Amino acid sequence: MTTETIAVPEIHCDHCRTSIEGALAPLDGVARASVDIDTRQVTVDYDEATIDRDALIGAIEDQGYEVPTT
Amino acid sequence: MTTAPPTDRSDTPGSDAAERSFEVHGMTCGSCAARVQRILGRQEGVADAEVNFATGMALVRLDDATTSDENLAAAVDRIGYRLAPVRVDEPRTSRADEERAAQRAWLRRIAVAWPIAAVFLIGMVAAPLSERAMAVMESTAGRVAALVLAIPVQFWAGWPFIAEAARRARWRTANMDTLIALGTLSAFGFSVVQLFAGGPLYFESAVLIIAFLVLGRWLEARAKGRAGAAIEALLELGATQARLVASDGNEHLVPIERVRVGDVVRVRPGEKVPVDGEVIDGASAVDESMLTGESMPVDKTPGTAVSGATMNASGVLTVRATAVGADSALARIVAMVERAQSGKGAAQRLADRVSAVFVPAVLVIALVTFGVWWLVLGMPVGGLTAAVSVLIIACPCALGLATPTAVMVGTGRGADLGILIKGVEILERTRDVDVVVFDKTGTLTRGEMAVTDIVAAGGTDEHALLARAATAEADSEHPIGAAITAAARSRGIDVGRPTAFTAVAGHGVRADVDDVTVWVGTRKLAAEAGLVLPEALDDAAERCERDGRTAVVTGWDGEVRGVVAVADTVKDDATAAVARLHAMGIETAMLTGDNYRTAAAIAAQVGIDRVLAEVLPDGKQDEVARLQADGRTVAMVGDGVNDAPALVQADLGIAIGSGTDVAIESSDLTLLRGDLDGVATAIELSRATERTIRQNLVWAFGYNTLAIPVAAFGLLSPIVAGAAMAFSSVSVVTNSLRLRRFGR
Repeated sequence: MTTETIAVPEIHCDHCRTSIEGALAPLDGVARASVDIDTRQVTVDYDEATIDRDALIGAIEDQGYEVPTT
Repeated sequence: MTTAPPTDRSDTPGSDAAERSFEVHGMTCGSCAARVQRILGRQEGVADAEVNFATGMALVRLDDATTSDENLAAAVDRIGYRLAPVRVDEPRTSRADEERAAQRAWLRRIAVAWPIAAVFLIGMVAAPLSERAMAVMESTAGRVAALVLAIPVQFWAGWPFIAEAARRARWRTANMDTLIALGTLSAFGFSVVQLFAGGPLYFESAVLIIAFLVLGRWLEARAKGRAGAAIEALLELGATQARLVASDGNEHLVPIERVRVGDVVRVRPGEKVPVDGEVIDGASAVDESMLTGESMPVDKTPGTAVSGATMNASGVLTVRATAVGADSALARIVAMVERAQSGKGAAQRLADRVSAVFVPAVLVIALVTFGVWWLVLGMPVGGLTAAVSVLIIACPCALGLATPTAVMVGTGRGADLGILIKGVEILERTRDVDVVVFDKTGTLTRGEMAVTDIVAAGGTDEHALLARAATAEADSEHPIGAAITAAARSRGIDVGRPTAFTAVAGHGVRADVDDVTVWVGTRKLAAEAGLVLPEALDDAAERCERDGRTAVVTGWDGEVRGVVAVADTVKDDATAAVARLHAMGIETAMLTGDNYRTAAAIAAQVGIDRVLAEVLPDGKQDEVARLQADGRTVAMVGDGVNDAPALVQADLGIAIGSGTDVAIESSDLTLLRGDLDGVATAIELSRATERTIRQNLVWAFGYNTLAIPVAAFGLLSPIVAGAAMAFSSVSVVTNSLRLRRFGR
């Protein structure tokens, strides 16, 4: 199990939280996804064997957010 | 306008490209608009898309006209918004309508819950008094009727609480809704079992708790319901149309969204400047007070910058757009207000904070109760009953009333005192306010020019100087001219009318008074008119300007005859208001774009402790945030649009009622009478209200907490539950009503 923190600067309100958590949580291999509105970060616990970071970022981008490459 | 930058501009939107307009529903903030726009832009066949948060509209330019609306709608639907084709005949729903709809939904819940609650209340009162009533209630029919009546209240009126509690449970958090759902569902479920087992029923607990809560939520929705209002007021400031100048020189009136950086627009007198830009032709005075709070119109000539939403006062300007949409000054203020608001939304309500601790504690007590009954006493069934009783009694009916009643009475008393209280959550934080930051212009000062100094040249009478200057300015609409005329009148000078009058834009006036040509204006104007400026007067003018006053020279017959200085003046009650705050142990600070020296002079005059000078218009919020980072709890008092982000950022935002709508909407408190003394009164009233909410929570939880042991011992009866409910509700309401005596 890996924990990854992804910065999404456009996170703004509860709506964003619902969208991102709702997009990540159903993915295979994602154990837990939570959005911190204050720090504009998404924290994901996931299983590396099933899913990788790029797929997580892809899911966030599909919601219309930009994820800056670090 | 919160139009986010388009993602794709590669295709030039020519006249042959198909365009479609849609309404977008469900957007709550600027970043929603950016997301919808990006998703639309990514769809096949879409050249580019622009989504305007203010109007809730999307404009999609297609390079493949066969792209179906359904595909676009489905893509937007996937990220949680709804796209609807524009219908001309249907009125559009605004966010204000949505807020009203939410209020109406609570009202409908009240309409269902209260009549049923009334039936139960009558039953509760009648049963001990009349044997017949008791018999009806205890009959099988009476008991089934209670179930039937409780169902719509529990599962329809009370649904929002259950839904929110379930959502919280998934994230393993608890708040007031958790407690409500837990308590009412326990009471309801337990009563259904008792219906068959023949034991006492607790349907009335569930019904009354929900009835009180929906009432409380409706009151709150009515008091609040304005979260988006600041943004809307801001966005309404912007122009909706622009006069685009085509390459052939013709003007076309186009929607503001069509203007691109580099386009040339024309602004006529009395019109709003549509975009941020640079003047390329023309001269005019522009009223920027809506952005800066500064009442003096600012002169614009080719090369100077203009901001969108400001008002062009006198001449025609031709402007090249330098920033549109999300990059404009107005959009940046909108974004700052939004960011500050979303930061605030994270604050937890007092009742929720208490609940977050109370709920796990109650669950533990219920478990322990069950464990002790089962394992120690060997009575699992009795234990279950006792444990459920604990859950039933733990949810205080008065919880839903604790905040709304205090807020209602507090805001009512506030209205009597000329204080409009809006932010409910914010009241709970005013207790800790330890520094009040005043915006200078328009808040501490009048925001109007007044004559402060008159220096006459040797051999010229001061009276005559003022009389001539005032007469020359009699027809001027400029604030400086008005100040000079007003000063003359207040000294009993009979101000006549000039025979000839010319305004020299940005420099002053030339007028014929008593057959003499009089010049009133800047030193440059005097020099151009060939007037000699004596050194003593030049020094006097410079001295005034160093202190932040505006020096106006007046001259005739080839010589400057005197200097009149005008300045914004401090409000009469500013000193007393500051002293009162100091007496309350609150520090005061002043925020201004002026240079330090000018600011310090005014601060000293009023008695303000701390001066935050030379603050750029968009730096006010940062100054407030910096104070907060030092651990201070900040109240901000302001009036201008540029104060809006700081007002929202502050723990308590106080707007002066004479200020702009945007400032008022961004604030938590508005002083309707515009007197500064109201700041201290408002803080005291907020504190009194907050204290009342705190006491109410003690009353609300108190009786029920006392009843928890009764329930744990298996002694709970509907009478005990009812008594706890009645006592806590009456205590809470009575306590709230005490606020009516505030300040009397």
